[in-house]
Amino acid sequence: MDLIIEYQGQLLSGTWVTIKLALLSLMIAVLFGLGGAWAKLSKNIVAQKVAASYTAIVRGVPDLVLILLVFFGGQELANSIGTLTGLWDYAEISQFAAGVGTIGIVFGGYMTETFRGAILAIPKGQIEAGVACGMSRLVIFRRVIWPQMVVYALPGFSNNWLVQIKSTALVSVIGLQDVVYNGFVAGRSTRQLFTFMFAVLMIYLVLTAISDVGLRWLDKKYSKGIVRTDDG
Amino acid sequence: MSDSSGDHAALEVVDLHKSFGEVEVIRGVSMSAHKGDVISILGASGSGKSTFLRCINLLEIPTAGDVYVAGEKIRMKNDNSGGYLPEDIHQVERLRARLGMVFQSFNLWSHMTVIENVIEAPIHVLKIAKAEAIEQAEALLKKVGIYDRKDYYPAQLSGGQQQRVAIARGLAMNPAVMLFDEPTSALDPELVGEVLKVMRDLAEEGRTMLVVTHEMGFARDVSSSVVFLHEGKIEEQGEPQQMFKNPNSDRFRQFLSRTMQ
Repeated sequence: MDLIIEYQGQLLSGTWVTIKLALLSLMIAVLFGLGGAWAKLSKNIVAQKVAASYTAIVRGVPDLVLILLVFFGGQELANSIGTLTGLWDYAEISQFAAGVGTIGIVFGGYMTETFRGAILAIPKGQIEAGVACGMSRLVIFRRVIWPQMVVYALPGFSNNWLVQIKSTALVSVIGLQDVVYNGFVAGRSTRQLFTFMFAVLMIYLVLTAISDVGLRWLDKKYSKGIVRTDDG
Repeated sequence: MSDSSGDHAALEVVDLHKSFGEVEVIRGVSMSAHKGDVISILGASGSGKSTFLRCINLLEIPTAGDVYVAGEKIRMKNDNSGGYLPEDIHQVERLRARLGMVFQSFNLWSHMTVIENVIEAPIHVLKIAKAEAIEQAEALLKKVGIYDRKDYYPAQLSGGQQQRVAIARGLAMNPAVMLFDEPTSALDPELVGEVLKVMRDLAEEGRTMLVVTHEMGFARDVSSSVVFLHEGKIEEQGEPQQMFKNPNSDRFRQFLSRTMQ
């Protein structure tokens, strides 16, 4: 316990990196998920194909492979482009940006499927009713689709989010000092790996418990009117 | 030219065609409704009557033909691949707001209460103030007899109640014409009457209505004219008492004998 207190600075700064990673990549995942769901449901064949390839690739490849590919491969690619064009000598991709970007884009693939399913769960007639009242597409999305989509998407979204928080641990392999990296380093240097990994475990549990509270709040806020007649 | 004053028909449809792929389901239908007209559109299933109604507010895009709402023509264009499309979606949205639509399956927004359903489009499409929208909605809900359920969600209401809310939602747009797409077909028999009564009241107060229906009693007793569609064309039309007593076409006679048993 004393050791943990001694190393609490590292653990806390690592936890903060994990939180930032998770939240920023969540935002990217939601944006990609909305865009992907829109593309998959659109009548535009090119958009459909692009979205289909996107979800097939990011869901079919290990996250770790993509993170390594983006970080190291992206680095090489950026340098080759610099050498070829003569525009820059050396470019460096930040570990943080590579981690946020990759995890965001990967989970955007899962969010795409979650959001697509949620939109399809909304009875088509309700969208038609909006059209018939003269609503624009934007108003229909904002007033009819979004509030219902959130409810239908929430179970899948929660699942994706929990997996996503845990996936941020993968960035420690590219040297980003998240809670896992810092905990592991501290554990090795003190030869108390069990103690530190247990502390890291508890930190993850706290993070997921906090998000559970948030998700419940969202569910309560949006689920009015959605058929739960048996208990209402 | 847009000109909503004068003696335009509230709704005019000229030579409307609609195909789904190779199949032409509407084969040149023209119709006009003047203020106060109540037109019942009858026909066997597959006659194209619902499709025709849905083409009027462009829920289905017609393949050819023109629609005028209160004298204003919905501008259409041909795209380069020969498709027929609205020229200006904003004009379409504006004119859709002038046509109230009641669906067979009610289609109330399930995440909104009854009153929220009714004030939604007036606030977000017509941009009227919320207080005014509420006041108007409450009056409409009283008119359709469902004011006491104004804070319920659609899932808590019977089909007949939901359909009366849907009618109030349509009326809240103060439309030039109300379109009814088989409004009683999804209802349990004992709930049909309450919806028909509301529609009858609307007819009596001079609302312009187009009603696709299987309710022969309504068509005969309430409507000012009846149109019988067969295979995408008008087979017979006229004054209801006359038409029901002495059908001119064999097909309408057959239709009547099948449905009036």
